[in-house]
Amino acid sequence: MSFILRRFAFYLVAILIAISFNFLIPRLMPGDPVDALFASAQGRMPLETLQAYKEMLGFVDGPLWVQYLQYMKSIFTWDLGPTIMLFPLPVTELLAVKLPWTLGLAGMSTVICVMIGLVIGTFAAYNRGGFTDRFMPAFWAFMGAMPQPVTALFLFFILALSWKWFPLSYGANPDLDPGWTLEYVSSVLHHAVLPILCMIIGGIGAWIFNMRNAMINVLGEDYITMARAKGLSNRRVMTHYAARNALLPVVTAVSMQVGFVMAGAIFIETVFNYPGVGLLLFKALAARDYPTMQACFLMIVVFVLVFNFIADLLNLWLDPRLRK
Amino acid sequence: MFSNKFFKFLRRFYKSNPAAIIGSFIVASMILLSVFAGAIAENDPTKRVARGHQPPSAELLLGSTRSGKDVFSQVLHGGKISLLVAFSAAAITTVIAVAVGVSAGYFGGRVDEILMSTTNIVLVFPQLPLLIIIAAFVGQVGPLVIALIIGLSSWAWGARVIRSQTMAVRNKEFVLAAEVMGESKLRIIFVEILPNLTSIVVGGAMGTCIYALMAEAGLEFLGLGDPTIITWGTMLFWAQSNSAFIVGAWWDMVVPGAAIAIFGGGLALLNMSIDQVANPKLKTGGYIKTWRRMKADVEARRAAA
Repeated sequence: MSFILRRFAFYLVAILIAISFNFLIPRLMPGDPVDALFASAQGRMPLETLQAYKEMLGFVDGPLWVQYLQYMKSIFTWDLGPTIMLFPLPVTELLAVKLPWTLGLAGMSTVICVMIGLVIGTFAAYNRGGFTDRFMPAFWAFMGAMPQPVTALFLFFILALSWKWFPLSYGANPDLDPGWTLEYVSSVLHHAVLPILCMIIGGIGAWIFNMRNAMINVLGEDYITMARAKGLSNRRVMTHYAARNALLPVVTAVSMQVGFVMAGAIFIETVFNYPGVGLLLFKALAARDYPTMQACFLMIVVFVLVFNFIADLLNLWLDPRLRK
Repeated sequence: MFSNKFFKFLRRFYKSNPAAIIGSFIVASMILLSVFAGAIAENDPTKRVARGHQPPSAELLLGSTRSGKDVFSQVLHGGKISLLVAFSAAAITTVIAVAVGVSAGYFGGRVDEILMSTTNIVLVFPQLPLLIIIAAFVGQVGPLVIALIIGLSSWAWGARVIRSQTMAVRNKEFVLAAEVMGESKLRIIFVEILPNLTSIVVGGAMGTCIYALMAEAGLEFLGLGDPTIITWGTMLFWAQSNSAFIVGAWWDMVVPGAAIAIFGGGLALLNMSIDQVANPKLKTGGYIKTWRRMKADVEARRAAA
């Protein structure tokens, strides 16, 4: 229990730091978003409007700590200000629409990576020197070193543009009405295949590689020899004795990479014009829409921290020693 | 003496390790190609030499961009800056990671606590989104700034790995002996401990290189880099903003993309091989098969007897 509390406190601190960071960046930089907005309006904006903007975006006058408290309050009341590119739509509303798409991509690809990656990694370590062991880790390490935009662009070019197997953009066929109809759901899945494939190509190498190495280290332990000496079946030794222990470092190592998956979503969604948080962030970057940018960043940080917390809970379940 | 030892090491490193051979070949040739870019490519990468979007031909090996510049020359010259960014970011990261990791692992106690809690917090932050936000607020950033931001923000994982390895080495007899002999702390760290961390440090540096290459390409692809400087990332950016694929000029996009992918892949293969030097248990190769065959032979003979 104390383990959970300790980790929880740690993530709480991390979130506070992220929020403070979010608060500080625009204030440390020369000029603020409102000035940029004012400049881009080329003097056609009355000063009162400017003032109103400033207040709305949280740039209240006053000492820094007053601004900071104000900012904290607005974050915890879930009020992140209006967007600039789709004024006056609140950022939070926009995020709520976009978030499920990205979570769907990230979630599905992670589940597939875990399942395939762990099986391949375990198998490779258990059959040392075989084809899987010699070829798979190297091949997927090679593929994983491709930058996400490049993977996405290549898949886009070959599978969507040249062979026309998959649609070129959007999260679903825009002619269909959203709803739980078979047609719509299958359209959503069809549109999600390529983005998910990109994420898998980028992420699966880490699972295979870490799992293989952890397994190899575990297989040298005495309790494996013991389990074999007891006459347990090969499969039982592999899954119940070796894999379960090997999983501990893998879960920790790979949970660190979720941030990477989320960052990958920015590029992948941009290439496939997929309506998630990543594309939103890209559009916000292009439009210099700072409130939206910061909200996206905060969203990604919170998601990554939550995922890390889940990984901790998973470790707790896998490793009885932590439960003391 | 030294060179002899070095060659022996090289021979062991490359022996029946195709990943290491292919990786070194890719990395070395890419570095050479971009260093001698000026001599290999005759066209100036910034000059208009043909009509826009000419397909690859005998004259223009890899075609031309939309603004009629030579893609072949651009990819060689762009490689220079992309590789420079990757290597310098990796250098910065490695220095910080070694400093933090070794001091936390060697000194322990309060120092360890403070350094590691900082490291853990930096570690859970998603770095690439952070880079994107910082770059967005700074405005269009040049390669130097990109290298700096990447270098300063991505040392945490390396520091943690180096710390745990330092702690393992720290309690070995030869370190204790050095302490008893009264060697200074600085000497113990640099002469006794650091050489034992070489493979981990080098492996970490390569990993950062890959990451920096990807991060730079990503930032520039999103249009956060300085688009007037030719790098692999800005080439992708220009190709994407001219929708090269849609208009059929695939070479404009594929060439820089493939350059990044191949170089990153080469580094990844090398990195894997270095991992196997650090931990010979992880090694894969023909000798395991040989061993298996011998084992099967022995067992068959035993069964026959």
